[in-house]
Amino acid sequence: MADFDAIVVGSGMSGGMSAKELTERGLKVLVLERGPEIIPERDYVDNLAPWESPNLDNVAQDEIAERYPKQYGGVAYAIKESNKNFWVRDDEHPYEEAEGTSYDWLRGYHTGGRSIMWSRQVYRLSNLDFNANKTDGYGIDWPIRYEELEPWYEKVETFIGIAGSAEGLPQLPDSVFQPAFELTDAEKALKAKVETTFPERNVIAARIAHLTDATEEQQSLGRSNCQVRNRCHFGCSFKAYFSSLNATLPAAERTGNLTMVHNAIVSSIEYDAETNRVTGVRIVDAETNEKRLYTSKVIFLNASTIASAMILLQSKSEAFPTGLVNRSDQVGRNLMDHVSGAGAAGLISGFDNQKVFGRRPSGGIYIPRYANLNGQDKPYLRGFGFQGGSSPLGNAGGRIAGIGRGFKEAHKNPGPWRVNIGAFGEQLPNPENRVTLHSSKRDRWGNPLALFHVTYSDNEHTMLAEASKDAVAMLEAAGCTDITANDVSLTKPGNRIHEMGSARMGHDPADSVLNSWCQAHDVPNLFVTDGSFMTSSACQNPSLTYMAFSARAAHYAADLIADGTL
Amino acid sequence: MTTRREVLQGLIVSIGGATALTACGGVANVLSTRPGSAARFYTSEEYALVTRISDLIIPRTETPGAVDANVPGYMDGLMTDWANSETKNAHRTALRQIKGELDQRARGNFLDASDSLAEQSLSAFDAAAFAEDGDTSGYKRVKGYVSQSYFATEEGATEELKWVAVPGRWDPSVEI
Repeated sequence: MADFDAIVVGSGMSGGMSAKELTERGLKVLVLERGPEIIPERDYVDNLAPWESPNLDNVAQDEIAERYPKQYGGVAYAIKESNKNFWVRDDEHPYEEAEGTSYDWLRGYHTGGRSIMWSRQVYRLSNLDFNANKTDGYGIDWPIRYEELEPWYEKVETFIGIAGSAEGLPQLPDSVFQPAFELTDAEKALKAKVETTFPERNVIAARIAHLTDATEEQQSLGRSNCQVRNRCHFGCSFKAYFSSLNATLPAAERTGNLTMVHNAIVSSIEYDAETNRVTGVRIVDAETNEKRLYTSKVIFLNASTIASAMILLQSKSEAFPTGLVNRSDQVGRNLMDHVSGAGAAGLISGFDNQKVFGRRPSGGIYIPRYANLNGQDKPYLRGFGFQGGSSPLGNAGGRIAGIGRGFKEAHKNPGPWRVNIGAFGEQLPNPENRVTLHSSKRDRWGNPLALFHVTYSDNEHTMLAEASKDAVAMLEAAGCTDITANDVSLTKPGNRIHEMGSARMGHDPADSVLNSWCQAHDVPNLFVTDGSFMTSSACQNPSLTYMAFSARAAHYAADLIADGTL
Repeated sequence: MTTRREVLQGLIVSIGGATALTACGGVANVLSTRPGSAARFYTSEEYALVTRISDLIIPRTETPGAVDANVPGYMDGLMTDWANSETKNAHRTALRQIKGELDQRARGNFLDASDSLAEQSLSAFDAAAFAEDGDTSGYKRVKGYVSQSYFATEEGATEELKWVAVPGRWDPSVEI
C-alpha cells in the first residue's frame, strides 16, 4: 500500500497548484520541497523600512563575488542584503556550462520556490502560439489547442487574482480580471500616439498577479489587496501578490490532505517494469544526508524545467537505460527561455507638473505581440512583446546638478518623465539546446551537476535587432526626446527565468515525452506539469500557463484514480 | 558666533562633540558609524572632507541635513562593510582628487575655508562636473553616495521625501 495518493515534487508555482487541486479532490498528497521552510510571519522582510537595512540594503561586494556571482549577475535588481536568502548560493549549488556557452540558472530553494521572487506578469497563450510549431515547422505540433485550456485558465485566474484590463485581443486573450493599475498620463500619451501611428499595435496595462479587489475566497486565505509598496521581492505580508506560499499551499493545507516535507532533495524516481508504473521517490535529506523512500499512486514532477529533466535523467532502469520516460531521447532537450536585450527609453514632455502616489508593483505597460499575426510578414519567425513603464526622473542619486537647498529640493520635483520599453521574444525550440547530467561532477548530496548547452539561433538575433528599431520608432512616434537604445545585446539564455521545454508534450511518443495531459506517454501515473511540458515558448510570461496545465492535469489524474485506472 | 564650519570641525575631532548636531536624534542606522565615533574606513581628513561636502550638498533647512542624518557615518559604514577593495581604492582616489580640486578653488585648505568660500568652491566644482564635457571621474559617484545615503536614512526618507511605508493606493496622476 502506497504512503500517499500522490507525491508532488516541488512546491513552487506549478507544484503549489498541483497540490491544491489534488488535495481539493480528496487525495492524500505529499509535497517534497528540496529547500528549507519559509514561514511568512517569520521570514518575509517586506516590512523593513529603508533605514532598517544596512548599506542601502546592498549585499557586500566581496560576498557577491564569493557566493552569488551567477544569481546576482542575472538579477542584481532583485537580490538585496535583506532577501538574499531567497536565492541560492552559487558556491553551494554550482552548475556547468558547455564550452563557448553561458547559461543563467537563477533560482531559490525554499517553500514556494520562485513564486515568492517572481515578477508576477501573467498572460494567456492563444492559438497563435499553439499553432506556431505546426505552421512554421520548428519543433513539433502542440497536442492541444487554446479552447481546451481556456476553462483552466479561467479557474486558475479566479483563484490567484490578476489585475488587468479586458482588451479583446485575439493574440492575447483576456483573463479573469480585477481592476488594473491605471496607466500614468505619460503612458496614456504613449498609448494614444503609438496606437494611432501603428494601428496593429496596442499599449495596455501590464497584467499582474496582484489583488486589487480581493474575493471572499482570497480573503479567506488571509490575502488582501495590494498596498502598492513595491516590496514584492521581499515577500508580502498582505499576501497580495500570488505565490504558492501565499495562496495554493495554504489552500491545500486547509483540506487536511497535505503533508509537506522540506529539505528533501529527490535523487530518483522508482519504476516498476512489471506494472509499468512509477512507485515512489527516493530523496536525500539536505541537512542530515539521510536517504528515504516515499511511495504513492501517482507522481507529479514540479521541480522546475531543469530539475525535473535532471530527475528523469537520473532515474535509470533496465527499461529506461537513458533516463525515465526518455525513449524519445527528448528529456532535457529543446530548452527554451525568452530573450531580451532590445529596448529603448526616452523623455516625454508635458507631465513635469505631475507625480504619482504609491509605488506600483511590477511594470506598468505591456505591448502585446504584433509581429506575424496574420501570416509571415517580418524577417523573423514568431514575435515578441514589450514590457515597460514610466516614471519621473526625480531622485536620480548623484545625477542632479547643484548643491545646497536647491539640490535638496530638486528631489521633490519629479522633473521630466522617462518612458522605457524592453522586448521579451520567443525562442525557437531546438533539440541541441539542452541540459544533461555532468559525467563526473556531483553536488554535495551525490547528485550529478547540470551541464547546459544553450545558444541562440539567427532568428532570435534578427528578431531582437528588429525589436530595437521598433522600440525607437514607437518612442519617436510618441514624441520622446533623448531616446536611448543600447546596442542589441541578447540576455543570456535562462536570464528571463522562463525556462521551459525539457520534456515536451506531443502527439507521438517517438518524438515527445508527454501527452496533452502532461502525462508521460510511457508511464501513465507520471505527470510533469512545470515548464518542462512546453512545446514552444510563445513570448508571454509563462507561469499562468504552467498553473493552468497543472490544474487540468491534476483533475485528470484524480479522475483516473477515481475510476480505478491508476 | 560659532560658524557651521567650526561646529563640523568639532564633530570630527571631538568624540561626543557631535551630539549638538544630531538635532533630530534617534539616528539608528544599522552598522553606520555613530556620530562622534572614530571612522572605521576614512582617515580623519577624509572623514572631515566627506562631512564638509555632505553638509554643503544637503544642508539643514526646514528639514534635517546630511550631517543631522549621519550621512558621513553611513558612508563610512558602506565603505567598511559593503565595498570591496577596488571600490574602496576608487573612493579614496576620488576623495583625493576632489580635495585637490577644492583646495585649488579655495586657494588653500578647503577644510579651513569660510562657509561662503567653501560653498562657492564646491558649487563651482559641481557645475564643472555637470557641464557637458565635465569631469565625471568620481565626484558624481561620491555625490550619489551622499544623496542615496541621505534618502535611505529615516530623516531623509520620511521628513524630506515624505516616504510612506504603506501607500495603500495607486494614484498615477497627482498634480503638483
